[in-house]
Amino acid sequence: MRELAVPNPASDEPIVAVTNLSRRFGPKQALNDVTLAVSRGCVFGLVGENGAGKSTLIKHLLGLWRAEAGRVKVFGLDPVSEPTAVLARIGYLSEQPDLPGWMRVAELLRYTQAFYPRWDAAYAEQLLGQFGLDVSARIDTLSKGQRARLGLIAAEAHRPDLLILDEPSSGLDPIVRRDILEAIIRTVTDEGRTVIFSSHLLDEVERVSDHVAMLHQGTLKLCAPLEEIKARHRRVSFRFEVPRTEPPEVAGAIRVNGAGREWTVISDARRAFAPAVAQHLGAVIVEDAEASLDEIFVAHAGH
Amino acid sequence: MYLQLVEHLKHSIETGAIRAGEQLPSVRRMAEDLLINPNTVVRAYRDLESEGIVELRHGSGVFVHESISGRIDLMKKAEPIMRSAVDRLESLDLAEDDIRRLMENELASRRTARHTRKRRA
Repeated sequence: MRELAVPNPASDEPIVAVTNLSRRFGPKQALNDVTLAVSRGCVFGLVGENGAGKSTLIKHLLGLWRAEAGRVKVFGLDPVSEPTAVLARIGYLSEQPDLPGWMRVAELLRYTQAFYPRWDAAYAEQLLGQFGLDVSARIDTLSKGQRARLGLIAAEAHRPDLLILDEPSSGLDPIVRRDILEAIIRTVTDEGRTVIFSSHLLDEVERVSDHVAMLHQGTLKLCAPLEEIKARHRRVSFRFEVPRTEPPEVAGAIRVNGAGREWTVISDARRAFAPAVAQHLGAVIVEDAEASLDEIFVAHAGH
Repeated sequence: MYLQLVEHLKHSIETGAIRAGEQLPSVRRMAEDLLINPNTVVRAYRDLESEGIVELRHGSGVFVHESISGRIDLMKKAEPIMRSAVDRLESLDLAEDDIRRLMENELASRRTARHTRKRRA
């Protein structure tokens, strides 16, 4: 394996920079003019429904897809033209880790280790013990959870600069999901290492992320620090004297639902908007609270 | 998540689960135990520092302020006084909101009185 390009540690250059990335699969616009940056040392949560473009975006970061339009840089490099330099510094775990079933656990780890000069055998050993994985077991005899844990060791034991987890928790029990969240926290508490975590489990994303991006039908709907997203979205319920047949018009509303006298608005606006709106509409505020990431997500997805 | 953590830590300190002078878990340890982003822990610790509850000692960690035990004792002494005052107000059939308003009016008028005295002096 050739020497790795070492980035200038003093620079604040993002770990991942995606600029105007678009991708079509036949008639389907999988990614539509996506621009985002992931900075060093953060947990970047990627949310969106199945088919929103999360995996397609991740495949571009891994250099598995070439950018049709736009540009993708990882560690300042093009992952398609410099796959070795990029992939050596990435740990990747997908929803269904593609592990060869005929191999035994120990063989797989030896095989994986060969690709990574920085493989930390002691760390792998420690995780094997913690997860209770039998090194002599054949991979096709492992449960789904144990397979995910093995995939996690393979992704993590070379202490990658960037850990990418694509829907890692799907269909797994809470204990395995906990192991995955622990791996995320472990990675990011090691100075300077970065995590991209795609999931539809919004409470998990909310726990661990610094920054959240939301894809909907290939378009980036939101991309901001979690704190900022939480601060600017409100859930406000209004009560009207007279029942309404039409939803009230509220500036900044991304979702309005209700019936009769009570209507609830999810808004992308600053805190103090509710009293003015209530006065304008002649309504009473029943509740004015921070919207949950789940509500924000559903509102932006237009359901 | 962040507010929950701040409240949780305050509660632990008030109930004496974490005592004055004691060290709080490291950011890393806390983040890994609670499975939350380490920056959330940092924010919570900074918050407690600005409230004078903990002290960030450079390089060695986060400690509960020594003066906190005095404050907790004081709060403990104040509790029965407050309880009997509220008991008496409730015996007059005053509602929660009335009691709260009375309390705030009283504090506000004292504030104004102090302010005028200061200006006269």
